[in-house]
Amino acid sequence: MSLEDALRRAAMLDAKMHREAKGHELPLPHAVFSQLRAYLIRRAEGIAAENNVWQLLKFSSAIGGLSYIALGPTFDKGLSPYHFRFDSGARLSFGLTLREDDRLSRLVSARYHYQLPEGQSPAFFRFDLIDAPHENPLLEPCSHLHPGLEHVRLPVAIHDPIEVLDRIFFVIERNP
Amino acid sequence: MPDIREHTALEIGQRLELRGQDSSSWIIVLVGDSSTGAKLEHFRDDIASVLQKPTRIFQIETKTFEELREELHNPGNDVAILVADDGLTAELWSSFDLMRGAIERAGPIVLWLSGNSIRHMTENAPNIRSYVGSSFFVVGPDGGFMTAEERAQRLTELIEHYGFGNEELIHRAQLKTLPPDPEIIEWLVLLGRGDLV
Repeated sequence: MSLEDALRRAAMLDAKMHREAKGHELPLPHAVFSQLRAYLIRRAEGIAAENNVWQLLKFSSAIGGLSYIALGPTFDKGLSPYHFRFDSGARLSFGLTLREDDRLSRLVSARYHYQLPEGQSPAFFRFDLIDAPHENPLLEPCSHLHPGLEHVRLPVAIHDPIEVLDRIFFVIERNP
Repeated sequence: MPDIREHTALEIGQRLELRGQDSSSWIIVLVGDSSTGAKLEHFRDDIASVLQKPTRIFQIETKTFEELREELHNPGNDVAILVADDGLTAELWSSFDLMRGAIERAGPIVLWLSGNSIRHMTENAPNIRSYVGSSFFVVGPDGGFMTAEERAQRLTELIEHYGFGNEELIHRAQLKTLPPDPEIIEWLVLLGRGDLV
C-alpha cells in the first residue's frame, strides 16, 4: 500500500487511457466543428445571456496535419466577450486539436474550462486531455478533471467533446 | 418569391427542421458555382449536425437514373444533396424531370445548383421546378474560420503566459522538454508545426 504501488496502478490506468484515446474515433475535424456549433446554438436558445455562437466558435483547418477548434480565450483571466456565458454567471471556454486520419479524426488534446461565478466554490472545473504520457501519471493522467484546484487532476473517461459539454450543460448547469 | 438573402447552412438546416421529420421537401441551394469542394462538404457537415441525420452527396451526372433512384431509397429518410454540374445537358434534365416521382422520398432532397444549373433546370425540368416552389436559398460563407488576426492574438496570449517565444517553443518541442499541456499543442498547431506534436 505504498506510493510505489499507487504509481504502478496509475501507470497501468494511464496506459489504458492513452490506448483508448488513440483509438477513439471522431468524424473529420470540420464535422466535429459543425456538431459543436449546432449543439451550442441549440443550447444557447435556452439561455437568456446572449451568446453569438456563430462568432464565438472558431475553426482552423489542418495546419501541419492538425486542426484546431476553439471557443474563448486560451487562458481564463476573467470574463471576456469571447466566452460562452450562462445565466448562472458561469462561463465556458475550450480548445481542441484533432489529427485527421483517413476519413476520421482523433483528438490530440482538449481543454474545457468552466468557470463558476466569483465567490463560488469550487471556482472552476477543467477537463483536460493530454497527448503524451506524463512521467508521473498519478499526478497527471491522460484524461483528467481539475475540480477547482490547479494541482489536482482526477482521471476521467475518454470522451467525445459533446459528452463533456453534456456534463457542463445538463449536470453542472442543469440546463433544461 | 425566392429569398435572395444569403443564408448559412445552419439556417437552411433549421428551415428544413421546421418542416418536420420526413417532410419530403425539395429545396434548391444556390451557390456561386456547382463545384464540389470544401464548401459542399462543410455544407453537408452543417446540415447533418442541425438535422441530426446522415447526409449524403450525389453527383447527378456520374450515375444512371436507376442507380440514383436505388441509392436515394436506401435509405429514403436521410438527407440527400444532389449536385448538378453546369454541364448537365438539357436531355438529362428532361429525363430527371420525368423520373421525379420515382425519386420522391421521405427525407429532404437538396439540389446544389449554380446560376447556370438553375437556368437549365427551369428550362428543362419544369416539374422539379414546381416541386421546389419558392424554396430557394442562397448559401453564404461557411463562417467560423479563425482569421490571421485571431491566430496572432492567441499566439501573443500563449507567449505571455509561458514566458518564452515561438522559437524556444519549437526548440523545446524538438528536444521534447515541453510541459504536456493542451495549450502547448494548440500553440504548435497555430504555428503550423503540428509535425512536432
